[in-house]
Amino acid sequence: MLLGIAATMVYFVIRYNRKRCPEPTSQKDDNLWLELTWTIIPTIIVMAMFWFGWEGYLSLRRVPDNAMEVNCSARMWSWLFTYESGKTSDKLYVPVGRPVKVILTAKDVVHSFYVPAFRIKRDCVPGMETYAWFVAEEAGSYNIFCAEYCGVGHAAMITTVEAVPKEEFDVWVQHNTEVLVHPGKILFEKYLCTGCHVFDDQKRIGPSMKDIKDRQVVVVTDGQERTISSDRDYIIRSILNPNADIVKGFPPAMPAYEGGIPEEEMEQILDFLMNGNKEQPVLPGAQLLEKGGCSACHSTDGSRQIGPSLKGVFNRQVTVKKDGREVTITSDHAYLERAIRKPKAEIVAGFPPVMQIMGELSDAEIETIVEYLQTL
Amino acid sequence: MANATTHTPANRGFLEKSGRYGGIFSWIFSTDHKRIGLLYFWCIVAFFLIGSLLGALIRLELFAPGRTIMGAQTYNAAFTLHGVIMIFLFIIPSVPAAFGNMILPLQLGARDVSFPRLNLFSWWLYVIGAAMAVTALFTGGGPPDTGWTFYVPYSVGTTANVSLAAIAVFILGFSSILTGLNFITTIHRLRTKGLGWGRLPLFVWTLYATAWIQLLATPILGITVVLLFVERVLGTGLFDPSLGGDPIMFQHLFWIYSHPAVYIMVLPAMGVISEIIPVFARKPAFGYKAMVISSLAIAFAGSLVWAHHMYTSGMSDTAVMIFSLLTFLVAIPSAIKVFNWLATMYKGSILLDPPMLYALSFILLFSIGGLTGLVLGSAATDVSVHDTHFVVGHFHYTMFGGTGMAFFGAMHYWLPKIYGRMYNKKIATIAWVTIFVGINVVYMSMMVVGVQGMPRRYYDYLPEFTALNRVSTCGAWVLVTGLLMMFVNIFYGTFRGKSVGSNPWGGATLEWTVSSPPPPENFEEEPVVTHGPYDFKKAGVV
Repeated sequence: MLLGIAATMVYFVIRYNRKRCPEPTSQKDDNLWLELTWTIIPTIIVMAMFWFGWEGYLSLRRVPDNAMEVNCSARMWSWLFTYESGKTSDKLYVPVGRPVKVILTAKDVVHSFYVPAFRIKRDCVPGMETYAWFVAEEAGSYNIFCAEYCGVGHAAMITTVEAVPKEEFDVWVQHNTEVLVHPGKILFEKYLCTGCHVFDDQKRIGPSMKDIKDRQVVVVTDGQERTISSDRDYIIRSILNPNADIVKGFPPAMPAYEGGIPEEEMEQILDFLMNGNKEQPVLPGAQLLEKGGCSACHSTDGSRQIGPSLKGVFNRQVTVKKDGREVTITSDHAYLERAIRKPKAEIVAGFPPVMQIMGELSDAEIETIVEYLQTL
Repeated sequence: MANATTHTPANRGFLEKSGRYGGIFSWIFSTDHKRIGLLYFWCIVAFFLIGSLLGALIRLELFAPGRTIMGAQTYNAAFTLHGVIMIFLFIIPSVPAAFGNMILPLQLGARDVSFPRLNLFSWWLYVIGAAMAVTALFTGGGPPDTGWTFYVPYSVGTTANVSLAAIAVFILGFSSILTGLNFITTIHRLRTKGLGWGRLPLFVWTLYATAWIQLLATPILGITVVLLFVERVLGTGLFDPSLGGDPIMFQHLFWIYSHPAVYIMVLPAMGVISEIIPVFARKPAFGYKAMVISSLAIAFAGSLVWAHHMYTSGMSDTAVMIFSLLTFLVAIPSAIKVFNWLATMYKGSILLDPPMLYALSFILLFSIGGLTGLVLGSAATDVSVHDTHFVVGHFHYTMFGGTGMAFFGAMHYWLPKIYGRMYNKKIATIAWVTIFVGINVVYMSMMVVGVQGMPRRYYDYLPEFTALNRVSTCGAWVLVTGLLMMFVNIFYGTFRGKSVGSNPWGGATLEWTVSSPPPPENFEEEPVVTHGPYDFKKAGVV
């Protein structure tokens, strides 16, 4: 269409240039049929475009019945996703292949949930619920942008959709921490090992896997007792052919997995058992920094973002603007609490007065955060 | 063409000092439509240069990810000002207030507009509104940072100086309403003998359609910004969900004006193109009636499509369907105009002088803007590209590639009439090429990066968007070079150029029958019109 217009124009300009045509060769100024043609044909074209656009739009609005629901709350300038299990995260974790319905709302101003990879966008409006849905067909990480201008941190309001295999997601969503699950752990559960082996000091049908690496164990081999170190070779042997060396005091009940576990998966399980089964508990204060949206503007590593860094924040000297005057104070326990409850009253010099009042945090939670800040 | 060979016009017409006042007061208290038109023109050009500077700074900031030349808050203020200045102080008054004032009474064979004092008052309102907008930068909590759209609740909560800016927009709105009222009355009452509705120049028709939108839609903008002001000062809660209000209502109110406003911006521009093309093709405008009807249809249907800015806002799906359908209907009259312009050129005798070059680039760039507009009008595709750089590219194609080009075209077409002097055509052509290339580089790369997913109003962006942003910024340098070249040439031509006769382009409308510059009272005696606006033979200018 555009090429046609451009080509016609260029052709006319050359063909009917004054050098070539010193006089106009026609003075005709209307032609009913021609005009009707170029009224009716575009009408048909645009009506067709409307229809296809509308059909496409409807498919964006009709959510499949089996969709998983995730609540999304947008605020300046971070995202909070809440899953059916009650778990929250600042990235959107979804299982591959399953439709996900994201129910959107906003805490403060209008934001917009935009995932270019899935061609979806929907505004997050305070006091209102909207939704969008998508299926991640392949595992991977996809950008989520805020597409409705929301102030100084707008361009930094970026997170991701993390599409992970279903098994991995199911484990993750039941988990309490933000740490993503070791793939070996998922395999460990997938092959039903957890039915007999646990990671605490309890005895189950099989021995505990706690501190399994290089542990001295007494095993029974062909009726003979001997003490060995449970190194890599022993663990592999125990999985593939468990009854060859049975740990003393346990029944030879474990099925042999020989040929049943691909080599790649075996490596992941080994890595999990030998190195990865120590979980880093996330401190409640750190979790609250995520939940409260603090980490969108405040770093904990000393880097300057929209707000001051929280590293070493306790008892440092800061210059703040208070009632239009600059005063230097010590950021003690009382100041930190004031800064959370009434952030705009005392603004650290050089930073914009944009922090929101944290109405969603309880008194106990604020206390937890302030205590946590003293450790940074 | 009596004075074509001399270096100064024989008389300075309305530019000669007259009336009670001397010096600057003979301008700012003048009720002569031509002087008021020039007052608007120079203010508008000044604001265009400021707005362009801000635009160039924004592009410079986006040259690389992260901080380049300014901080995030400064950047947000910069794009807000760029938008407010370009929309309210440049594009909306550009063609109608500047060239409408200068040319409309001349084309009608009238001595002035119907209400000359009201006309002067409109200009004063424009200046006061502009002064308040500038004051808002340096007072209160700092320059506004809401974007030109002032969306709530952000605009209610921000500590920046939004209240004063809102009042400034309110006052600017009144300037627009009064000008519209003046033009409607003038067109109805002051047509000279023989100038029936079927003989009106197409530029007059587009001004007529525009004036109705100005009169009917602008009050809604006034109400909206007043409500925003009241919300900020008194906390009425109309738009605050925690008090039972609705933020989406603000978006509706805002776009009920601001979408018709884009037709305020583009209709008179189409009128300029409809004047230029017949003159430089030496043929009557093809499909005069269709052109008139399509102007009125755009004005009418364009008032019913505002919510196509809101497909993703959370309004109902039924509303999305209705507004998408209406939006596609508006495309039809615009397409008819493009075809008619092309048909006017068919079998003509085309002279590629600067005004014609700007007119042709208008058709091309506006078509790109219009066709990408269809992508946005279609509900499914809009969901993907809404609020991305694709939208930024699209409306710069329609507004800058469209209205901007028409404004420059009108400058090159009518300023020789108003000042009686001609600019250097060769430099004007080189400047045109530079601007045309610049526009395409800047905004085409924006559209591509938008399709790739870069949202608009982003101070910072992900590394994968760097290359295209860099191309766009380089294009901005080309564009700025072209603009500077064009303005210097126009300024020099206006004050030092060779004098031209009354009709340098061979136009057949009434403004070309009086001397250049026109006399203060326009016509010695009331002219009688005996032929159509583009009947060059009967006008005796072939």
